[in-house]
Amino acid sequence: MRTTALEASSLDPSRDSTSLSRGVLLRVFLRSLLLQASWNPQGMQNLGLAYALFPALKQLYPDRRELVAAVRRHLTFFNTHPYVAAAILGGVLFHEQRIARGEEGPERVQAFKSALMGPLAALGDGFFWLSLKPAVGAFCALLVPVFQLLTGQASQGAWAAVVFLVLYNLVHFTFRWRMYRMGLALGDRLVEEVAKADLPKRGARLRAVAAASAGALAAWLAIVFGRNEEASWAPLLAGGCLIMGAVSYWLVAKRVSRYAVLYLAAGLAAVAGAFL
Amino acid sequence: MVVWSQIALAGIWGGLLAVERRAFLQAMFSRPLVAATGMGWILHDLPSGLFIGMVLELFHLGSANLGAALPENETLAATGTTAAAVALAGNTGGSTPAYWSLAIILFAGLGPAGRLADQYLEEYSGRLAAKAVASAEQGDLARAVRQNLWGMWPHFVVFGAATALCALIGFALAPFAASLPLRALRGLAWSYPAMASVAAAIAARGSHARKAALYAGVAAAAVVCAVALAPWISRVSLLGSPRP
Repeated sequence: MRTTALEASSLDPSRDSTSLSRGVLLRVFLRSLLLQASWNPQGMQNLGLAYALFPALKQLYPDRRELVAAVRRHLTFFNTHPYVAAAILGGVLFHEQRIARGEEGPERVQAFKSALMGPLAALGDGFFWLSLKPAVGAFCALLVPVFQLLTGQASQGAWAAVVFLVLYNLVHFTFRWRMYRMGLALGDRLVEEVAKADLPKRGARLRAVAAASAGALAAWLAIVFGRNEEASWAPLLAGGCLIMGAVSYWLVAKRVSRYAVLYLAAGLAAVAGAFL
Repeated sequence: MVVWSQIALAGIWGGLLAVERRAFLQAMFSRPLVAATGMGWILHDLPSGLFIGMVLELFHLGSANLGAALPENETLAATGTTAAAVALAGNTGGSTPAYWSLAIILFAGLGPAGRLADQYLEEYSGRLAAKAVASAEQGDLARAVRQNLWGMWPHFVVFGAATALCALIGFALAPFAASLPLRALRGLAWSYPAMASVAAAIAARGSHARKAALYAGVAAAAVVCAVALAPWISRVSLLGSPRP
């Protein structure tokens, strides 16, 4: 995802009233972090989008009637993934600057939003919600016993939570900022650049990391469970817990409630603990 | 003894994370591993937060907010369960796997309950959106866009109050937990690693990987082999004493 000369020109502070200053561009980005503050079933992220764009629209349209029209066209239905929305926001600003200069009509920005919000939402959901989040979550849960093993102290496992935030947000904020700049610079052509990132392939790898981390942790915890009893019973208990994990996987795959499976495991272990 | 400052801190942390989860940033401070560990740290009981957070992170690993579909509220489950566990442990002589299990069993249902609250709050946001459109039509643009910010405070208040209530319930349950017979406590202590192991298996399923069973199985086999070859690994005390 390279930046281009076109991007540099869009961030150039030497501008007229139809070009946006760096300060306004930064304000729009920061306000986009509140995109879902009033998520609602009718317009979804419409309020958040209008809120984020408002400083830019105010600069672009000194005429009150034009400003009202601009805000109203962004209070219509809008919904996408909150991170990739940064790309659409950048693209909307790209188009709004052209509209303010009279180079295109307002229908172009509406068409741009409508065309991109669905596909980009699917891309963002698939990569961030269904791949990166589970991968970082499972990997960092696995780090809890690893940190304890390395330091010999139970509370040191808490560093796993810190690693979670750093790992996830390194990707998250880098992506969000670059997508915003890309939208600003490229407008409609950002789709080609996003495609080059090959997010579906990276997502598949991350999901494999999530599954492997969870499997390793399940085995480790089963062994810890076995340590409830000393010597002869330990392998039997650990083996039983491993089998219970495999059965749980199968039951959840058969759409048995996760809560039922969790309570069943708790009940069986409690009975074993009380009477063995 | 009820510690009101702990209840207040639990409520504030729970409220802030509810805002972060839904309205602002979405930087994953609200994920169970982070949210519960943070709660444990704030309330001076890091082990309770860490180990409850780990189980709930795994249990809710596969949930996602896709389109208009609302997932269970894993943040409320994590903050509420931890707040209750800390209150329980603080009044019964210490943080142990038995009390972590008790808290998880009693408060894991907060996830679906939180989803119901989220649905209710969406209706409120719908009213804000209608007000914003009306304001824009009247030409009051600043008021129109400002409506966006009013969508945050109900999340803070509702989920903050719910988390504080969980802490209060934890304090109320402490005498009951302290009176449990040793056999019941031993059973609860055994439940913790069993639930954690099952949650990890559920997490493998929730990873959405195409060959999740294969990846998870190979990794589990590697861990079993590692422990068999280097048994000292399994002798390192991780969860404290499993016996109460």
